[in-house]
Amino acid sequence: MSAAVNRAALLVLAAALLAVPQFLPLLNAGFWTNVVTEILIWSLLATSVNLLFGYVGLLSFGQALYFGFGMYGAALAVTHWNAGFWGGTLAGIVAATLMAVVAGVLAVRLTWHYFAIITVVFSLIFYFAAMSAKPITGGDDGLSFSAPPVFDAFGLKLTLADTVTQYYVVLGLTALCYGLLWLILRSPLGLRFEAVRENDRRARLIGINVYLCRLTAFILAGAVAGLAGALFAFFGRYASASYMFYHVSGEATVWAIVGGVGTLLGPLFGTALLIVFRELVSTVWENYLFAVGALTVLVVMFAPRGLAGLWSDGLAKLSGRSASQPDPQAGAAEAPR
Amino acid sequence: MTAAALETRNLTRRFGGLTAVDDVSMTLASGRLNAIIGPNGAGKTTFFNLVTGELRADAGSVTAHGVALTNLPPHRIVRAGVSRTLQIKSVFGGLTVADNVRAAVMAHEGVMSPFRSILSYGAISRRVADLIAEVGLERYADTKAQTLSYGDVALLELALALANEPKLLLLDEPVCGMGPQETERAVAKIKDVARRTDVVIIEHDMEVVFSIADHILVMAQGAILAEGTPAEISANAKVQETYLGAAEDED
Ligand SMILES: Nc1ncnc2c1ncn2[C@@H]1O[C@H](COP(=O)(O)OP(=O)(O)O)[C@@H](O)[C@H]1O
Ligand SMILES: [Mg+2]
Repeated sequence: MSAAVNRAALLVLAAALLAVPQFLPLLNAGFWTNVVTEILIWSLLATSVNLLFGYVGLLSFGQALYFGFGMYGAALAVTHWNAGFWGGTLAGIVAATLMAVVAGVLAVRLTWHYFAIITVVFSLIFYFAAMSAKPITGGDDGLSFSAPPVFDAFGLKLTLADTVTQYYVVLGLTALCYGLLWLILRSPLGLRFEAVRENDRRARLIGINVYLCRLTAFILAGAVAGLAGALFAFFGRYASASYMFYHVSGEATVWAIVGGVGTLLGPLFGTALLIVFRELVSTVWENYLFAVGALTVLVVMFAPRGLAGLWSDGLAKLSGRSASQPDPQAGAAEAPR
Repeated sequence: MTAAALETRNLTRRFGGLTAVDDVSMTLASGRLNAIIGPNGAGKTTFFNLVTGELRADAGSVTAHGVALTNLPPHRIVRAGVSRTLQIKSVFGGLTVADNVRAAVMAHEGVMSPFRSILSYGAISRRVADLIAEVGLERYADTKAQTLSYGDVALLELALALANEPKLLLLDEPVCGMGPQETERAVAKIKDVARRTDVVIIEHDMEVVFSIADHILVMAQGAILAEGTPAEISANAKVQETYLGAAEDED
């Protein structure tokens, strides 16, 4: 039954997202459409964290590095090579993916806090490098460019200057990305990821090359963060080294955890909740970050599996079963040691 | 002549000043159920860790059925047909029983297509069902492993270890922590498996060991103290003194 409810909820979500430009501008022309656009983009960065933490058990605090490479890949391709929107997006993904290969080869040899630390170190190194390579990156000031049209043929021209077009382009690419990840996570590769997350020793003992498996996830996560970065660069017509800083990584980690890691769409909801919360509270209170922090702590304390956990527990209650179907016949007589 | 199930030459592993496995050379013939006994800290688990590549040997070599395993990474050793269960039972707690076994079968078959659903592999699904039936966990197929009883977790772990169709199966204290009924069930299963696979079992429960083993090795302080049939071992004065007598006091 909960599978059917989930499918229905997914349809409602898709319909709501498709309808955003029709309804939200009624509240405040364009503003909320842009907020949702931003949520979609940032949710991909949270998803990148989720792929690592939620699926292979590696907590990264450095995913902003690949976001930054995605931004600069797109911005530099557009400014120097005259790349169009699609070429720029691809350049961003490729740049981030290559960086993830280089960093991943070293980083996934480590686990736990060692892994977390090396991801931060990598992002700091490249943050400072990008800051000081001012002629190329614009450093702190960043790099502005004008966005090329998304489509320009047969007398039809679609540009990002139109808020609604921009929204649908971002929605389409985000949905494509989630769709691909959905396929991957239910495939044999996805099962390998989960096995590694659950128990890396046992994973080795059934013949999984744990290192290769984690490296694959790391590169995939880098590519997803790269797509997010490229889209964000087009969204702001701007790339800046400041987005590589680790507080950006940290925010994405918080979004992912609040939304619920280990579920495909959890991070999307975590990102949505915290960004909407920020937009609402920041207009009335300048220290809104305290409120965001408090909200985060509340979710982590009372819903340790995040919003996605709340959702599936709620569904389980509704359908009259507990989430973790304990077996009535086992366990009681012979308690585990 | 068929190759020995397991053969080690001068296998040694030190932890700091402690030599946990001390120059062990052994040849365990194929077609027998071999048991390793010995007091806690004798180095039995460390010996298994060396065979499965989870620890590197400081010296020596390991061969199973004629295949050199020395210095191979653990996943390659598994693919060479050596499986094990752990002293502390180890499965994928957050996955269902079926997905646990499926992960193992898929790893063994080497499938890792990123775009096909795991449920679309008919032959693998049948083999998963067979393995689950073999250990008698059919009614828990869709139950998360972390909610199983201890004995069922041990059986699931056995199914994972059997997924690679092992030629050599290493069992580290398989009935430790089980109640009498669970022990009986597990022992029956081990005997069954031993008919087609070479088994080496580490076990503390002397009743179990002497009832199922064809050949027993006694380890103490990293070395092999004695070796022989159950009758020879129980008659061995040296073993009586260092282990069999002491084990009674332990409990
Ligand atoms: N990873 C390790 N690091 C340090 N010492 C270890 C390690 N593993 C085992 N030992 C030590 O090696 C000795 C043998 O341990 P073990 O092989 O577990 O014995 P057994 O399985 O026979 O009870 C013990 O003294 C133990 O403390
Ligand atoms: Mg042991």
